[in-house]
Amino acid sequence: MVLIGIILAIVVVLTFLSPNFLKVRNFTNVFLQVAVIVIICSAANLLMITGHFDLSVGSVLAFCAILHAYLSKHGLPVELSIVVTCAAAVVWGALNSLTVGVLRITPVIATMGTMYAARGFAFLIARWDGGANISTGLPVNFTSFGRFLLPGGMPLVIVLMVVAIAVFWFIEKKTVLGRYTYAIGGNRSAAALSGINVVGIVSVLYIIVGLLAGFCGVLQVSRVGSAFPNIAEGLEFDVVVAIVLGGTSMLGGEGSTFGMILGALIVGLAANGLNILGVPYFYQEISKGVLLIIALLLDQLLRQRSELGGRA
Amino acid sequence: MSGQEGTVIEVRGLTKSFPGVLALNDVSFDIRRNTVHCIVGENGAGKSTFIKILTGAFEKTAGEVLMDGKSFGPRTVREAMSRGISVLYQELNVVNDLTVEENLTLGKENHRAGFIRKSEDMGRVVEILKGLDASIRLNMSVGDLSVAQKQVIEIAKVVSTESPVLIMDEPTAALSEDEVRRLFAVIRKLKADGMTIIYISHKLAEVFEIGDYVTVFRDGQMVGTRAVGEISRACRDVPEACLELVKMMLGKVVVESYIPSRTDRSRKLLEVRKISNKKLHDVHFDLFKGEILGFYGLVGAGKTEVARALYGLDEYQGEILINGKPARARSVRGALAAGFSMVPEERRADGIFAALSIRANIPMMRMASILRGGLISNIKEKRLADQYIAKMSVAARDRDQKVAFLSGGNQQKVVISKCLNREGDILLMDEPTRGVDVGAKHEIHVIIRGLANEGKGIIVFSSELPEILHLCDRIVLMHDGSVREIVKNGEDVDSNHIMAVIAGGKV
Repeated sequence: MVLIGIILAIVVVLTFLSPNFLKVRNFTNVFLQVAVIVIICSAANLLMITGHFDLSVGSVLAFCAILHAYLSKHGLPVELSIVVTCAAAVVWGALNSLTVGVLRITPVIATMGTMYAARGFAFLIARWDGGANISTGLPVNFTSFGRFLLPGGMPLVIVLMVVAIAVFWFIEKKTVLGRYTYAIGGNRSAAALSGINVVGIVSVLYIIVGLLAGFCGVLQVSRVGSAFPNIAEGLEFDVVVAIVLGGTSMLGGEGSTFGMILGALIVGLAANGLNILGVPYFYQEISKGVLLIIALLLDQLLRQRSELGGRA
Repeated sequence: MSGQEGTVIEVRGLTKSFPGVLALNDVSFDIRRNTVHCIVGENGAGKSTFIKILTGAFEKTAGEVLMDGKSFGPRTVREAMSRGISVLYQELNVVNDLTVEENLTLGKENHRAGFIRKSEDMGRVVEILKGLDASIRLNMSVGDLSVAQKQVIEIAKVVSTESPVLIMDEPTAALSEDEVRRLFAVIRKLKADGMTIIYISHKLAEVFEIGDYVTVFRDGQMVGTRAVGEISRACRDVPEACLELVKMMLGKVVVESYIPSRTDRSRKLLEVRKISNKKLHDVHFDLFKGEILGFYGLVGAGKTEVARALYGLDEYQGEILINGKPARARSVRGALAAGFSMVPEERRADGIFAALSIRANIPMMRMASILRGGLISNIKEKRLADQYIAKMSVAARDRDQKVAFLSGGNQQKVVISKCLNREGDILLMDEPTRGVDVGAKHEIHVIIRGLANEGKGIIVFSSELPEILHLCDRIVLMHDGSVREIVKNGEDVDSNHIMAVIAGGKV
C-alpha cells in the first residue's frame, strides 16, 4: 500500500512540475526504461526470495549485448546469433550456480566475481572487433528485433515485459518451483530436511536470471543499434533496489512478483521524472539512495506494527 | 591465595525467570576453593542459565552470588573475567589461520600505534603452555593441531590471566579417549596450582574420575550437592554410583498407564544391522509394523545420532533393511524415498516454515499431493490442509494462518502433518513433545498411538522417561553410542533397572 502511495505521489508531483509528464509518449518511455529492469527482476526476485543475490546481471547483459553484435557483424545470421548469445548467458548463470550452489561461496562475493569477469570479456570482445565499441558494420536487419512494433504501435519490448511478469507470477503462485523458493528462503534447514533439493532449485534460478539478463542484452543492443561494453553499469543495484522496494526481504522468505513490479515502477518513474525535470545525474543518484532508505524504513515500521498486531 | 580451604563462590537463592519460564528457581550451594566442582543435569535443567549468570551473559532476577565473600554480579563477560572467572567454551575461540604464538597473545598484543611488537613478557604464558603440553611448538599453525591441543592453548591463555576460577563447559565432547586422559592430567595440574574448576558434563563417569563435588540440577532447581568421594564409597562400582546421580537428575518417574499398540510381530518394517560411525557402535534393532519403538538414554548417549543416520544425514557403516530389502540412504531424499520421514528435534530451526501458512507447510514433503496436471491446485491444497487440521485438531484461526503465530503444540502438529503427508511407512520423532504444554503433549501422544494403530512404524527418541514408558511398546536403552538393552514395556517394567542401564551399568 505504501508503494502504491509513493507511485501516486510521484505521479502527482511530476504532473504539476512538468507538462510533458502525463503524455502517452512519455509513459511509453517510462515503460521502455523499466522493461529491462522488470524482466530481469521477475527472475531475480525469486532468487532473492531464496536468500540469494546476483550482482552479475548488469555485466552479463553487457557481455551478451556485445557478443550478439560481434557475432552478427562477423557473419552469423542475426537469429542464430540470438540463440548462441542466450546460450552464453546460460553459461554465466551456470557459473554462478556452480560457485554459489555447489562450492558454497557467499553469493555476494561469487557473483561479484562473475560481474567483473563478464564485464572484462565485454571489453575484450569489443577489442577483438578492433574498437572501443561495436556500432558500425552491423547487418541491416540487426535492429528489427529490438525495434519491432506490434500492430497498433506497441513495442515488442513492452509486450515481452508483460509476458515475463505473467510467467513469473504464474511460477510464484502455481508451480512447485515457486513454492520451494519460499520454503528455502524461509527456512533452508527445514527445506533440506523436507527433501527439497536446495542446491538444485537455487542453481535453476541462477541460470534463469543469467538467461534473462543475456536476453535483455540482446533486446537492448538491437533496440539501440550499437553495442557499448559499459552499458548497464550499476543495473545490478537498480534490480536490487526495485526488488527490495517491492517488499522482498534481503534475508529471503518473503516477497512477491506484484510488489516487485511496483518497486520497479518507482525506480523507473523516479528516474524518468528527474530526467524530465532536468535534474543533473549526480542529484539523481543521491535521490535514488534517499528513496531506497526511506522506503525500507517505512517498510520496516509497518512490518513491525503488523507483527505486533498479529501476536496480540 | 589465602587459605586452601574455604568457599570461593556462594550461591544464595539465585533465581532467573524469563517470560513464562522459571529457568532457575531459588538455587543455593557453595563451591569450595581449590576443588573440581561438577554440575550435572539433563537439558533444560538450568546448568547453562547458571553459567551465563556467573559469566555476565544473563542478569539474575533475584538472589545473590558471593565471590570471596563479596557480592558478585557481573554485567559483561569482560567484567566477570576481571573479577576472576574465566570460561572454556564448548566452541573453541582459537583462530586456525594464526600460529600458536599469535593465538596466545590474541586480544592483548603489545602494540604501539596499531603495529604489533614482539611481546617481551610472553614468557609466562609460554611456560604455562610447556607445562601443559610440551609437544606444542609456538610456530605451529593452530589449524594443524588436534581439538585437544587447541583446548590446551585456550587453557594456557586462561591460566595466564591468573583467574582463580575456570568454568569448563563440556570440555570432552569432541575428544578421543586418549585426549580425555590428557585433559584430565591438565585439570589435575591446574588444581594442584590452586585453581578452582567448575566442570559441566553430561558424562557421569567423568564426574567420578575428576570431580571432588557434584551438584545436580533438575527443572531449574538444585537437587543436591554431594562429595563425590562419599557417593563412591557407598557404591560398589562406577555405574552404580552413576545411578545415584541419574536418580537425582531424573527425579521420581511418574508414569501414565501404558496401552499396548496392535503390533504386527509377523512383519518387520525396519531392520538395522550393526550400524556404526564416529558416535555410534554396532547399533542393532528391528521395528515392526504398528509398533512404537522408544530410544532412551542420557544426553549424548547417541539417540539423535541414530535418528540422523537413519535419515541420511550422517555417514555410517552397516546395513539397513526396509521390508526386507536393503535401503541405504546417503541423503535425506534417499531416506524419504526409502519410506522414512522425520519430526526433527528443533522445531523452529528445522521443522516449520514460520513465514508460510499452515496450508503451505503441510504439502512440503510431497508436493505431488496437491498437484493437478503438474500445477498447484488450490482446491486440493485447501482440502489437504482441512483434512490434517481436523485429524490433528490443530487449533488455528484458519488454514491461512501463518505457522509463526501458532502455539508450540500446534506448530508441532503441523510438522507431524507434513511428515504424515509424505505417506512413508516409518516415522522418526525426535523429542516429539519438547517445548509443548501439557494439554498438547497428551494430544500428541494420542495422535502417535493412533498412527501406530493405523500400521505405521514409529520410532520415538526422547529424553523423558515418563513419555517413553507411556508410549512405547519396546524401549532401546542407549549408553555411550551403543544399544545396551532392548526392554519390552508392560506392567512389570522396572524404571530403576532402566536408569541403571543408561547410567552405564552391566546388563
